[in-house]
Amino acid sequence: MSDARLFPITLSLQVASLAMALVAPAGLALAWVQARRRYPLRSVVDGLVLLPLVLPPSVVGFLLVVVFGRRGPVGAWLEAVLDVRLIFTPAAAVLASSVVALPMLVKTAQPAFEAVPPELEAVSRSLGLPPWSVFWRVTLPSAWRSVLAGLVLAFARAVGEFGATLMFAGNIPGRTNTMPLEIFSAYQAGEDARALVYVVVLSSLSLGVALLAARMTGAVEAR
Amino acid sequence: MWASVVVLALVLGACRQGGDSQDPEGESTSLTIAAASSLRHVMPALVAAYEARHPGVRVALTYGASGDLRRQVEGGAPIDAVVFASAGPVDSLVRAGLVAPGSRKVVATNQLVLVGPPGGPRLTFRTLGTLGPRELLAVGDPGAVPAGQYARDSLKELGLWESLRGRMVLGGDVAAVLAYARRGEVAAAIVYRTEVRGLSDVVLLDEARGEWAPRPEVVAGAAREGRAADFVAFLGAPGALALWQEHGFGPP
Repeated sequence: MSDARLFPITLSLQVASLAMALVAPAGLALAWVQARRRYPLRSVVDGLVLLPLVLPPSVVGFLLVVVFGRRGPVGAWLEAVLDVRLIFTPAAAVLASSVVALPMLVKTAQPAFEAVPPELEAVSRSLGLPPWSVFWRVTLPSAWRSVLAGLVLAFARAVGEFGATLMFAGNIPGRTNTMPLEIFSAYQAGEDARALVYVVVLSSLSLGVALLAARMTGAVEAR
Repeated sequence: MWASVVVLALVLGACRQGGDSQDPEGESTSLTIAAASSLRHVMPALVAAYEARHPGVRVALTYGASGDLRRQVEGGAPIDAVVFASAGPVDSLVRAGLVAPGSRKVVATNQLVLVGPPGGPRLTFRTLGTLGPRELLAVGDPGAVPAGQYARDSLKELGLWESLRGRMVLGGDVAAVLAYARRGEVAAAIVYRTEVRGLSDVVLLDEARGEWAPRPEVVAGAAREGRAADFVAFLGAPGALALWQEHGFGPP
């Protein structure tokens, strides 16, 4: 496979991995806060997290361009102050993937954290475990299966992101053409065989990750 | 219950519209025309002129990238005639037996131009290689957008296609390519001359002239003889030329 043909595959893996590096800590923290803390704007945050899941990708993409585009408030600030330009870069693809993947993790992990008996955490604390260790050694292991399922769903969503990526990262061959963009572009050009290559790779990847997660949760269960 | 029956009837009725209407002499003929995005300003004028000459004939228009529309027709979309921005997609429909060979006709010509946002770098086609490292050039996706094919041909002729890889953002149709420049997200965009008439938010940087420049053609074809072929013939007739020229197109 030529470099140009291979590029969308490696790019998609990089974009999804970087997105997960952002989504995993942010999503778990958010899920835990929403599960355990009661604060005034809690339901607003709940709704905001859910938004990318219920909105069409075109709306997500539009909002990203409006906010982070070169003429958007954040985009203009980033360029003027930090000399950073997001739109039409691989970083834009990472951001678009992260935004749509985040709710998958939060919405799966939050109920799991809520299901962990608070008494269990209280006992651990009373036995002298610091709060951070309570999360790592009590809460997270108890919610392990749902968290893993959430991570798999988030990864699949991140690697498959299309609409918002197309609008915010653009289709730049050799720079931002992830597999979903390449499938669309090849289909439009009538090059179905080229599209099929990425369809197979993308499907195998998502299926493989899901099977791996099923095995891992199964192994945890068998113990 | 009755509400859903009514809705179903309406949906079915809507689905039937735009289907074939082989009734050349009939009073209420309807045609569905698939036209390239680059023709979205001129086609309504041409359709209005045709409808004025043929009372009872209704023409519905659908726009998209020519390659995209070609796929839709191949997939069975009920289209009576196509008007594309290059010969390729029309000819492949002729080969597939979906466009009558005798109806295929070059109906107008166009020209490629380089545009950019006001205050941007003063580029020309030949100096596109001097594009800054973070600057982008917007072109149509060559696989589906004829303006992108013409742009690729030009840049290859000028020896710039390979060196610009990684800095060309591909638009899904020529309107999307133009929008990138109008929003100021790219330093320059390659579109048709007819796209930039009367726009104040982009400036014309250069026109494609010379032996390296392609000569974009607008090519039409009808699915069958009869009313659809008559419409295509009208597009290429001297009577329509004034309307094409009014919108910046050249004679065939």
